[in-house]
Amino acid sequence: MSEQWMKGLKTLCSARSSFEKTGQIWSVFLSPERILEAARRLYDEEYFIEDISVVDTADGFLVVYHFDHFDGSARVALRCLVPHDNPRVPSIASVFTGADWHERESHDFFGIEFTGHPNLIPLLLPDDLGFHPLIKEEKARVPLKDLMEPGEIVECDPGFTLFPEEAKEAESEKPAKEATQGS
Amino acid sequence: MTRQAAAEQVAGDFYTRHFVEPGPREDTLILNMGPQHPSTHGVLRIVLELDGEYILRAEPVIGYLHRMHEKMAEVKTCLQYMPNMGRVDYLHPLAWNWAFVGAVERLGEIEVPERAEYIRVITVELNRITSHLVWWGAYILDLGAFTPIMYAFDDREYLLDLLQIPTGSRLTYSFFRPGGVSTDLTEDFLKGVLEFIPYFRSRLPMYKDLVTDNIILRKRIEEVGVIPLEVCRRYGATGPVLRGSGQPYDVRRAEPYSVYDRFDFEIPTDEKLDAMGRYRVRVAEMEQSMRIIEQAIEGLPEGPHIVKGAPKPKWKAPKGEAYFAVEGARGKIGVHLVSSGKANPYRLKLRSPTFSNMSLFAEIARGTLLPDAVAILGSLDLVIPEIDR
Repeated sequence: MSEQWMKGLKTLCSARSSFEKTGQIWSVFLSPERILEAARRLYDEEYFIEDISVVDTADGFLVVYHFDHFDGSARVALRCLVPHDNPRVPSIASVFTGADWHERESHDFFGIEFTGHPNLIPLLLPDDLGFHPLIKEEKARVPLKDLMEPGEIVECDPGFTLFPEEAKEAESEKPAKEATQGS
Repeated sequence: MTRQAAAEQVAGDFYTRHFVEPGPREDTLILNMGPQHPSTHGVLRIVLELDGEYILRAEPVIGYLHRMHEKMAEVKTCLQYMPNMGRVDYLHPLAWNWAFVGAVERLGEIEVPERAEYIRVITVELNRITSHLVWWGAYILDLGAFTPIMYAFDDREYLLDLLQIPTGSRLTYSFFRPGGVSTDLTEDFLKGVLEFIPYFRSRLPMYKDLVTDNIILRKRIEEVGVIPLEVCRRYGATGPVLRGSGQPYDVRRAEPYSVYDRFDFEIPTDEKLDAMGRYRVRVAEMEQSMRIIEQAIEGLPEGPHIVKGAPKPKWKAPKGEAYFAVEGARGKIGVHLVSSGKANPYRLKLRSPTFSNMSLFAEIARGTLLPDAVAILGSLDLVIPEIDR
């Protein structure tokens, strides 16, 4: 599978994962402002969109984008972590039109604001519901590191500390910075 | 009259008002097709702006059958959730059974005995035929012909009786278990399937003569609803919709799961990209399913139908995440399971193929005749509870 789309893309953390174990081959953390660029690159490489979902974790809302390729077994998961009090991610509906509905659904369930979305109105839930049913209570939230394995990290920004142990390994190059982050 | 003033005069609910907000032209008609319309199969509603019989704009309004299966997953254990999987798509429930147990097995690293894999293949493929038969009959019914659905339901009845033997139910199966299936196949069942295949093969030429080659049908759906491949990719359309657009993508081949790599079968595609193309793909798929079933019955190994020490109702999934996809009758079914190590899933995302297939309707319907929109809707093979989940 072509990995051309990753070249030059600024990621927070990119990791290979085992398809047999997790069902995906790449897990890529991005800052929200990069998501549109990543989507455009995937579009150019002829990937198609599978779905967009959200996981409510103690570290914030994790917006997960799944893409796959017609050549098979090439699932890429793009992930964006956004804070609970200001959950905003740029919409990718301008690139993958199908994201329109997936984003509306995520807006219904979690209240994520997809900026630049052409039509962010309720999709599955009533327009006067007034709450987002899949948001968890504070005490029920679990930190991200307890929910998913980081996989085999290829590149990780030193400021990215969601997976403490793995970050340490990747850190040997920048020990000073890591020490402050770890504390 | 200003557009705002025009919008205020339109009676209707939130969605109608939102639809007319950009302002209808003075000479157009706003029409709500559904939620209770015979050709929308369940409760789907489409708000249309019509210029005569031509569609200027269409906006599907969904959610009338929304049951929040994803939230239910968070308050049940993995095994307690199995009955939900029979109720997402009532026409191909065994594929949803499989997608969910597949994700659980991938996460829990649960082994599945070989016999169970074969049983899964046989029952899922039989269920695929019943699903395509309902689509076939109902689609022709949408287009105005009553007789074929009677033939289709007659054949489907045979299969429902058969599937009732191992699964115990006729529609909302919850037959699979993490680690296998709930009961073994009986001799009666296998005998019945082997009798059904030649019988059904003998029926197919009659269907072809009666319906597929019928000039009325052909004039009605040929060159209607052309979906270019690029559109499929942008919307994430899969299954017969994608294959009808010429792309031989089938999860059974592209991400081989279970024992599908052992069987010899073709992936029908069509280069015409129209509603007739999608029709031909589904009809051809029924034959391919029969080929798979024959090979699976021939190679059915002995052994247990469920692994020893299979998860109990209070079984706790290990921490982690797993995504598992299968090929359903309508396309790629995906389950993304995230577990925090408790008995209940932390988060479960269901990827429904018709959700993505339906979302491209608004784009394809633009500029077509209203009766053609009905032909396009039917050719997408919609199951509304699956869209709404």
